[in-house]
Amino acid sequence: MVGIKLLLNKKMSIKNKIPSFDKPNYVYIPLVNHTNLACECCVKKGDKVYKGSVIGRRNDHFQLPIHASVSGTVVGIEERPYLNGALVKCVVIENDFKEKVVDNFPPKKDITDYTAREFVNILRDCGIVGMGGSGFPTYVKYDTKMPINTILVNGVECEPYITADYVLMRDHAEEILECIDAILEITGATKGIIAIKVHQPEIKKEFKKYMGTYPNIELIEVADLYPSGWEKSLIKQVLNIDYDKLPIEKGVVVNNVSTIYAIYEALKYHKPVMEKIITITGDKIEKPQNVVVKIGTQVKDLIDYIGGIKPGNKIKLIAGGPMMGVAILTDDLVVSNNLNCLLIMENQNEHPYIECMRCGKCVNICPAKLSPVLIKNNVNNVEYLKYLQPEKCIECGLCSYICPSKVDVREYVKKAKLKRGEKNE
Amino acid sequence: MNKFYHDNGPHIKSPYNTSKMMKHLIIALFPIIIFSVYKNGILPYSRGYGTLLSAFRPLIMILLGMLTSLISETLFIYFVLKIKDKEKLITHLKYSYAIFPGLFLALTIPINTPYSILIVGAMVATIIGKMLFGGFGFNIFNPALVGNLFIISAYYSNIAIQGGYLNKLELDTITQATPLTNLQNLNYIDTYQNIVTPFGNLWNFLTGMIPGTIGETSAILCLLGLIYLLFTKVITWHIPIIYLATVFILTSFIGYYHDLGIWYPLFHLLSGGLIFGAIFMATDPVTSPTTPIGQAIYALGLGFLTVIFRFLTSYPEGVLTAILTMNMFVFIIDKLGVKVRFNLKKLSIPLAILILIIGTTTYYVATNINKKVTDQNFNVIDVTEIDNQVIYTVTHKAYHGLIKAKIEIDDNTGKITTIDILEQNEYVWNQIEEHNYIDKLIQQQHNLDDLDTISGATYTANYLKQMVIKTLKEYSQNR
Repeated sequence: MVGIKLLLNKKMSIKNKIPSFDKPNYVYIPLVNHTNLACECCVKKGDKVYKGSVIGRRNDHFQLPIHASVSGTVVGIEERPYLNGALVKCVVIENDFKEKVVDNFPPKKDITDYTAREFVNILRDCGIVGMGGSGFPTYVKYDTKMPINTILVNGVECEPYITADYVLMRDHAEEILECIDAILEITGATKGIIAIKVHQPEIKKEFKKYMGTYPNIELIEVADLYPSGWEKSLIKQVLNIDYDKLPIEKGVVVNNVSTIYAIYEALKYHKPVMEKIITITGDKIEKPQNVVVKIGTQVKDLIDYIGGIKPGNKIKLIAGGPMMGVAILTDDLVVSNNLNCLLIMENQNEHPYIECMRCGKCVNICPAKLSPVLIKNNVNNVEYLKYLQPEKCIECGLCSYICPSKVDVREYVKKAKLKRGEKNE
Repeated sequence: MNKFYHDNGPHIKSPYNTSKMMKHLIIALFPIIIFSVYKNGILPYSRGYGTLLSAFRPLIMILLGMLTSLISETLFIYFVLKIKDKEKLITHLKYSYAIFPGLFLALTIPINTPYSILIVGAMVATIIGKMLFGGFGFNIFNPALVGNLFIISAYYSNIAIQGGYLNKLELDTITQATPLTNLQNLNYIDTYQNIVTPFGNLWNFLTGMIPGTIGETSAILCLLGLIYLLFTKVITWHIPIIYLATVFILTSFIGYYHDLGIWYPLFHLLSGGLIFGAIFMATDPVTSPTTPIGQAIYALGLGFLTVIFRFLTSYPEGVLTAILTMNMFVFIIDKLGVKVRFNLKKLSIPLAILILIIGTTTYYVATNINKKVTDQNFNVIDVTEIDNQVIYTVTHKAYHGLIKAKIEIDDNTGKITTIDILEQNEYVWNQIEEHNYIDKLIQQQHNLDDLDTISGATYTANYLKQMVIKTLKEYSQNR
């Protein structure tokens, strides 16, 4: 199996109680989706909005609303950094702290009482996206003519430092199981699998407490390797299936646990994604912990709320985990629904320049079976790139991690990926 | 709004780095260097050969090679690349691992190489082998082997005068040069007694108490190094294991064809610096392929070429030339490795062709070996038959020029009756005459292996003995 054991550093942020930061003065709801297409804005300055009001909408081939996460007044549209480092347009809402909810939430109902069509619609109307980081609209996965036979729930969280899914599973195991069972019933799938990492007795115990009621749901432990949480590798490990492009080819749908929890809230309360658990951690944060945060909160307010940053030189603010996360220049970054971790740490990448010696460690470690060193050496050779297939890169960062000469191999692969993309268009 | 530091991820990096790899490499070489100092320096000195200084000759050569490489790289950077800032220069040198070409060169040359030639070789290795290609990471050929090839092809006669591959002790106790030169002189196929026994037994090959270059003789220490390098993840198993396995399988086949035992492939495996080359030279990351499939094909090619070079060319070791040849194909092999990386089935056709070529060529070598290769030392000029007497006029290579002799064999008994030396230019001929060596040869002609040579005229005596043996062999083959 491809992967590597990393130093996890997870313990520091696992606390028993998860505080919630629900009093931001302003929220900045980013008008983007996972591919950075700008979305249509449905409100204007001065409009009153409630929690759950639709303030924006994707206007491409996916229909997905964007909801307000507080009640208050729209004060304008500003540009703020998004988790990929780019500046994006955000709707700024001044919080009136009244927590008023938009009144079209239907009453609570039995969460299994949906048809497959209704299920897809509610996922879409609640704006559920892949919360593990991809941000891909979840309804699309279920809006398929192909039969679904397995729901695979990804609770592996293989990146170091991040514990958001861990605490979610610990505190909401029952709801997660209930939701998986409902999805199985709605979609007609026969098997539900929760994949977690080995050596997590606390999580295992929580799930085992309720598992007896759900004979169709199985708990499977996978190796403590990075990137064993990658969809393709996870399906290979758990089901021993290979697929070409999408797991649905083999009747499998993969969802992150946090997405499953969002689906639960959508089914039970018709509640769109308005808040989520975020891990704030790293050696330069005073009190590393998980916090429930409203979408659109400024990271600056969040960090102040939990106790601030330790002084130091060359401190990095990383949106995401240490492997795939992006270092953000300023802390006016906003929380979006696919952000799961904020890592504040001292820069550890101080290395002298050493020439690549083609040792091939990146080739041996690449989980997508690419040859990163050859992609790096042939980044401008479009003919050769055809065989090197950089478009298969999942940007896990292992090539740059393992490189003994500390070459930024991933950046070259990304560049090659872009080149290939241009050519295909 | 607070500002933060920015750079590209990942934001954690493996603690492993290139400098650590190089340290591990030196640690793996350490036992080999110590053994070499013992075998080529201290042991001969303790038996009364050479001076105290010569006891440390291997160490001096290794240090001299490293120093020369370092200095030539410094001068190259300073004068050609024009990096004159002292700090930059030191950083550059620190991360271009300048000492390695000289270190590996010193380990792969004969002990009797004069210091001046070693210096020239180390300069060639660094300047031509490495710096002219663009320095560390850009060279196509293994720098140390470039220097080695240069020394051996340009200055071998100078080295041979000093005693070639044999250290001071071996010069006096062993008559053949290196095991593989001996093998070549024997036309590649012969008995265990002729191929291995002159050097003791195979155990000596394993421990390294045989003639060879400075660092390459001890197979067991090289294998120890391999285990260390695999354990510390400096190299992967693909190249050394597949390389050695290929040589073993092909020479097993050739040996099997000629009814030779398992000792024959083992002899090939343990001689000529094959194990040292497979572990330390062929795995040089800069000059070998990066994909695992590519490495496997590379190693297969290395094994094949080594066997071919050993049997079909006058370079008896074959390892060095095989590595330099395969270095040229790394780019193509990598391309193939990439093409089959996502679909292993695509490999089947190229692999089938490769195996077919290897198979047929090896079969050719196995079947033609004794016919194809003639002994360059021994020549039959004339054969005449008078009254049941067969008279051979032969020449044989000697220490200085050729020995020409007329050897008469009685056709009834098949025994040599007289040996007339027609021409010789040996310095020590008086010793031969003093000991009546020619008469002894005639007396002991059917038990020549037990005939002692003459101290002080070891070479000449041995060549005479070889001449007689070969003449008898020639006679028995034709009658």
